[in-house]
Amino acid sequence: MGGRSRRAATIAATLLLVLGVWYPLAGLMDASGDELASSKLPYPHSVVRPVLENPGTLFDAAWATLSTALLGFVVGGAIGIVLSVVMAQARWIEAATLPYLLLAQMMPLIALVPLIRSIVKSDSLTRLLMAAFVTFFIVTLSALRGLKDYAPAADELFRAYDIGRLKRLRHLRFPSAMPYIFSGLKLAAPLSLVGAIVVELMNARSGLGFLMLSALTFGPAQAPMLWAAMLVTLAMGLALSRAVGIAERLLTPWQMRFRGEGGR
Amino acid sequence: MDDVPDRSGAGMVAVPVAGPAAITVDRVTKVFDGGDRSVTALEDVSFEVPRGGFVSLIGPSGCGKSTLLRLVAGLLPASGGEIAVGGIAPREARRKRQFGIVFQQPILFDWRTVAQNVGLPMELLGRSRAEIDARVTELLGLVGLADFADHRPWELSGGMQQRVSIARALTLAPPYLLMDEPFGALDMITRDRMADELLRIWSEEIDTTVLFITHSIPEAVLLSDRVVVLSARPGRVAATVEIDLPRPRSAEVRETPEFFALESELRRQLLAAEQA
Repeated sequence: MGGRSRRAATIAATLLLVLGVWYPLAGLMDASGDELASSKLPYPHSVVRPVLENPGTLFDAAWATLSTALLGFVVGGAIGIVLSVVMAQARWIEAATLPYLLLAQMMPLIALVPLIRSIVKSDSLTRLLMAAFVTFFIVTLSALRGLKDYAPAADELFRAYDIGRLKRLRHLRFPSAMPYIFSGLKLAAPLSLVGAIVVELMNARSGLGFLMLSALTFGPAQAPMLWAAMLVTLAMGLALSRAVGIAERLLTPWQMRFRGEGGR
Repeated sequence: MDDVPDRSGAGMVAVPVAGPAAITVDRVTKVFDGGDRSVTALEDVSFEVPRGGFVSLIGPSGCGKSTLLRLVAGLLPASGGEIAVGGIAPREARRKRQFGIVFQQPILFDWRTVAQNVGLPMELLGRSRAEIDARVTELLGLVGLADFADHRPWELSGGMQQRVSIARALTLAPPYLLMDEPFGALDMITRDRMADELLRIWSEEIDTTVLFITHSIPEAVLLSDRVVVLSARPGRVAATVEIDLPRPRSAEVRETPEFFALESELRRQLLAAEQA
């Protein structure tokens, strides 16, 4: 069995497993006699209904979220890579900046949102910034680890030819860091969506978070829409991560795990 | 470039051991500072490598052989004594890109093809593509890997990888080749074949002065003009053995009584050094 069909089988099995747990749970909820059961945990098929009935609404919301989150992801990823390169230049730079990075990440996102919005006075810019904020931290830390993971003898080899810092960075440290950078990006991609949605949940006029919030406020009848929006978020997160994975395979085909049967 | 060895003897294969010194190590000491835990790696080490000669350093583990090589390469400063490479300080020689180095691990970069790995030093120094291509083709032919130019390092066996690494070290046609146990990570059979191969490569790059570090007695005898035996930590020169086997040498020289005699002489010296 090829890798592709095996992956398809895995996905199908996972889907069946999820439905196999979801249906009985929804049934239990329904049987409990709770009048609002269907709004708390609707059956999977009723979650699909709003997708079919209002594809436009969901699509617009998903696009609003995805486009800003994606921009934020790119900005955050770029900042993360640049910052990690700066930090990797000297131990004292890392020591001086790392604690602040950690502190910044401990800040509750929810508290940060109104603050940023009041400064930039724009919903979409706030969304973008939060998505970037979530991304840059993960990417900085993973890239920093990667930039330090090279063979000491390789560095000696470059120094034996009296090769300067910039060229060593470009030809040795940065390529060595690529697998780390990509694993950071894969982790950050879905989280950048969450960052954007947090902003939307707190007062926006578009996006999946906005859709979730309105579904909540419009009452039990809208519950399937809330679930549908969450499932769309999940699907987009997985797709983003997968896209980064494909980019990784294209840009760094030399990695151990991409080698074919011919590799040692 | 007054350090390029005299090429007038290029056709000559035998190398006069008594030639002018290319590398002079004079009463060199190296202490790694660690406060209370300072370690003396080398103490009062002196030896010479003649121009165009092949000198091996042999000694027990931890005798500071690799440290010595890094001092000669100008990668580490000596704590005392003097090292001269072609009459100048190691750091100056390094700045003039006069060294080729081969480590125990091949240190090839997976994101580059075999040819790109070999051409790396020239690429880093901004040489033209045509110049690089020509030199890389020449070198891959020399090490017998002409058909593997576009392969990736991981597709090659350990011995082939080390040959790529040797080709890379020769890319800039350096006057000095420093080899730090280059065959130490290979199996015995490959190791013997690689030593024969190096003998052949070196006979074609006759100008090159080689400082070679090894654990292997037969390897040292086969390749060298002179073997410097180092004692255990701190490393001191315990003995110097001249290898007066005629050149050109071939793999068959291993079967001669002279070879055996030199081997046992070296083994005796090494044993004495370890017990000292």
